[in-house]
Amino acid sequence: MPVDTKFIGKEYDPVIYVIGEEKIKEYAFAVGDLNPLYIDREFAKKSKYKTIIAPPMFVVVFARDTIFSLFEDKEIKINMSMLVHGEQEFTFHKIVKANDIIKSTSKIKNIFQKNNNDFIEFETKSYNQNNELVVEGNWIFIIRGQ
Amino acid sequence: MSYIPGQEIKPVQIEVDKYRPYYYAGASRDFNTIHIDDEFGKSVGLGGIILQGLCTMAFVYRAVMGDKDPEKIKSFRVRFRGIVKPLDKLTIKGKVSKIENNLVTFDLFAENQKNEQVVTNAFAVIEE
Repeated sequence: MPVDTKFIGKEYDPVIYVIGEEKIKEYAFAVGDLNPLYIDREFAKKSKYKTIIAPPMFVVVFARDTIFSLFEDKEIKINMSMLVHGEQEFTFHKIVKANDIIKSTSKIKNIFQKNNNDFIEFETKSYNQNNELVVEGNWIFIIRGQ
Repeated sequence: MSYIPGQEIKPVQIEVDKYRPYYYAGASRDFNTIHIDDEFGKSVGLGGIILQGLCTMAFVYRAVMGDKDPEKIKSFRVRFRGIVKPLDKLTIKGKVSKIENNLVTFDLFAENQKNEQVVTNAFAVIEE
């Protein structure tokens, strides 16, 4: 059954995530991105950032629960076994540092069908504790036709 | 360093570790069954577990950014075209497509050992 377009515009509760140094390191090693700004405390302290910072792609960690609000939405009932990630875009505004408190908001931007597949376009915006926009995400998921 | 349009980045090769989907699942909390359960991956026609697309995206990020100041990246997009599996050998390539003021746009893609494109229509906008 196709995903109902009535859900376009649906927003989810904001998600709060506190940035942890060790979590940054774990992520950096998992993707093989060993920039010392992410993993070397002493190096990072001497840098212009004065502390460990998160890789830009770490957005996937702090915005993760917004995506799972969509995946676990009991009204939409996405068939997760048919779900694939279609496209991903991030617009970066500000570096995220260890101990930042990030709030991510999200909403369904669009739902459409193409070649018997359902497409869901999902928008996230993440803000730091000073209410500065740090990164915007545009996530496109495809639910393969059954 | 300054760039010129058409200039290619040094291709980056990455061999996907057999256990990479598990490491990435732990780090990212993306434990979708298709990434951690081989039998399930087979049952939904994927031939086994597949790597998280966002992990491949992070590989592409690393290929174009290296150890540059992370503040320099302004936007980054990828299209996931094909699946990536453990033990695949990926090659990430790209070239400068546009230079506007101090912003350089790189067009990027990633292919596997069979020359199948797994990431296409990718671009990164990076401040010089």
